[in-house]
Amino acid sequence: MRTPATGPRLSPPSLRRGPLAAASTALVLVGLTACGAGSRTATSSAAEVPCEVEVAEPTTVNVLAYNSSAIDPFTNTMVASCTQGDLTVAHEPIDFDGQTQRTTATLAGEVGTYDVLETYGYIIPQLATEGSLLPLDDLVETYGEEYDLGALNEGMLEAMSYDGQLYAVPMQAQMFVMAYRQDAFEELGLEPPTTFAELREVSAALQESGQFEYPLALPLLASGDLATAYDAALGSLGVDYVDPETMTPNFDTPEAAQALEELKSLVPFMDPQVTTFDQPSVQQQMYNGDAAMAIMFSGRMNDLTLESNTQYAADFGFAPPPTVGEDGAQYSALSVDGWSIPTNSAVDPEVLFEVIATSVSQEASEEAVPAAFPARDGAVSEDSSPYAAAAIDAIDNAPAAEPFPWTAPIANETLPVVAQAMLDQITVEEATARMQEIATGVLADY
Amino acid sequence: MRRREYLYLVAPSVLVMFGLLVIPLVRTIQWSFERVRYGSPGTFVGLDNYRDALTDPRFGSAVAFTVVVTIAVVSVLVVGGYVLAVLVNGLGKMRPIVLGLLLVSYVVPGLIGGTMFSWLFNDNFGGIVNQVIRLVGLPEVLWFTDTWANRGLVAAAVVWSMIPFAMLVILAGLQGVPKEMLEAARMDGAGSLRTHWSVIAPSIRGVLGFVTLISIMDVLRLFDQLIPLSPQAVQIGNESLVLYIYNRAFLDGGQQLGLGSAMNVLLILLIVVMLLPFIRDTAREGRS
Repeated sequence: MRTPATGPRLSPPSLRRGPLAAASTALVLVGLTACGAGSRTATSSAAEVPCEVEVAEPTTVNVLAYNSSAIDPFTNTMVASCTQGDLTVAHEPIDFDGQTQRTTATLAGEVGTYDVLETYGYIIPQLATEGSLLPLDDLVETYGEEYDLGALNEGMLEAMSYDGQLYAVPMQAQMFVMAYRQDAFEELGLEPPTTFAELREVSAALQESGQFEYPLALPLLASGDLATAYDAALGSLGVDYVDPETMTPNFDTPEAAQALEELKSLVPFMDPQVTTFDQPSVQQQMYNGDAAMAIMFSGRMNDLTLESNTQYAADFGFAPPPTVGEDGAQYSALSVDGWSIPTNSAVDPEVLFEVIATSVSQEASEEAVPAAFPARDGAVSEDSSPYAAAAIDAIDNAPAAEPFPWTAPIANETLPVVAQAMLDQITVEEATARMQEIATGVLADY
Repeated sequence: MRRREYLYLVAPSVLVMFGLLVIPLVRTIQWSFERVRYGSPGTFVGLDNYRDALTDPRFGSAVAFTVVVTIAVVSVLVVGGYVLAVLVNGLGKMRPIVLGLLLVSYVVPGLIGGTMFSWLFNDNFGGIVNQVIRLVGLPEVLWFTDTWANRGLVAAAVVWSMIPFAMLVILAGLQGVPKEMLEAARMDGAGSLRTHWSVIAPSIRGVLGFVTLISIMDVLRLFDQLIPLSPQAVQIGNESLVLYIYNRAFLDGGQQLGLGSAMNVLLILLIVVMLLPFIRDTAREGRS
């Protein structure tokens, strides 16, 4: 069990596998047609900031970072600003799955292919334990003042740390935000729900109005997003996967079963094929006007506000996600992205750190709003975007982090069981018993 | 041709074959007996990887799904390809245009084609097929979560993408059938169906065998189309063998290279077993 949430909860990587593979391909194709200075992704989001990194000889810094509207501004700034003199910063477009594969591969060799890696809180403990990433505390000490790194959010720095050491410079975070159709809510006299019980009531009212057959849209893809959803529900109920002190899994607690039951209780209000929906599918439901409420990562919200995407752009309101129980943390997962230096890079770590620090500068961070929620305190205010206030509330009330190396393997290995329970292929009791067994097996390696 | 010239001409192909086929195959077999992670030498684990694969119910399910889909799809491909080829062969000046149009689905990459095909059945993207179903008053079909509906969807998409190949090869075969033979059949009073069954089809048996062989190989490797067409493949038992190997060996940065290798060896054995009769027939045809 854990105390009420104050810090970020790290999200499984599966949630990032949002875009369909085809969309990723399209993204790559778009990237290929919009080459910039050293980068093969669109540079329209790149801020031009001073980057006075000096190298003694021609040096190429290879950056591994997946493409998304929230990450691209930082990557593009790094590439556009620091490619100067004898220094070249190179980045190839790639989707999240590709990044995951290449991270594993590049960290395995004595000398890696990449010199700067995009990492996230969820994976930091595992990579740090394996000794794959360089601790950055000394470099922060050296360059912190020059690059004003003191303005980076304390919670996000914590999310990028493991065992008291910093392993990545945070650039931006995403957290769950709820989008809803203000016009429909006003017409029916509804308020944005603050608990799952209210969520069911509001969903039922919308359904009964006849305007929406399936008013609620959640990304619950059985091969990915569902792990994040279950972890978010569990976190909202104040429970971690594992009690780190006793090293025993928590799937035998009442909350573990309750989290599943609560998610299942929403099924009648969602499309019957909801377990095939990733985040783009949920966005599409909102674009089409098929759903009146959606809960997904904040990085997806900007798209909803664009009139070029949907005729309902002006009708969307935004609110923090509800809590699963009557109180406690919100149904949320906070995902913090950052830049890490692999220990097997042949490039001078000081050069790499300066390149990284440039990309998270004040100017670059401001340029990234509203697509991203930058790690610099004050970069986002309630007026920054229509959903900024909801995001700020959500970031403060997300469940606490689980910064342990076993978190990722447990999430991955229990996902099929969560999916079976959601699809009624097994009972909740069977599911929690199996997850307890799986998690116990995973913990045997630690 | 002198022996030395022969060796010069053959050597590049042999080198390529050796580098791209023999070495990976030998390494795959070697790794299948080891626990392997990127960048580190493998550790010998005997038959553990094979035991892991063969005792996983998902493996059996993936084999069954793959074999059933292969048999069903290849049957439709051969019959449908033959019918299409006959129809196209009967066209006059329009033949090149029709042929060009029919080839579109074959040249579209599987992933893109699968995604576009899925939109026909997905209400989020218009779902034209669903609209027609509603229009005629039929019950809603859950194409992506119902096991058999999804199998039908996947099979239809694979047939759509591969039938131009079957049609094209059979069309070439049809054009090689001697006119005298057809004339003789007609004079003997054979009807159209009888002529196809007893004269044309047997005379292009080798071509049909070749189409079957290639189609079996292609469908057994079914992977990319499943990503958009069956997002819930694991849960509804529609995971193909190659998708299963990917999911077990590589998903989420996994490093089960030894297990993946063992599964690949099993897949190769399956392919050989399924192709053996056709390879024998094709070889016999070649000799004759």
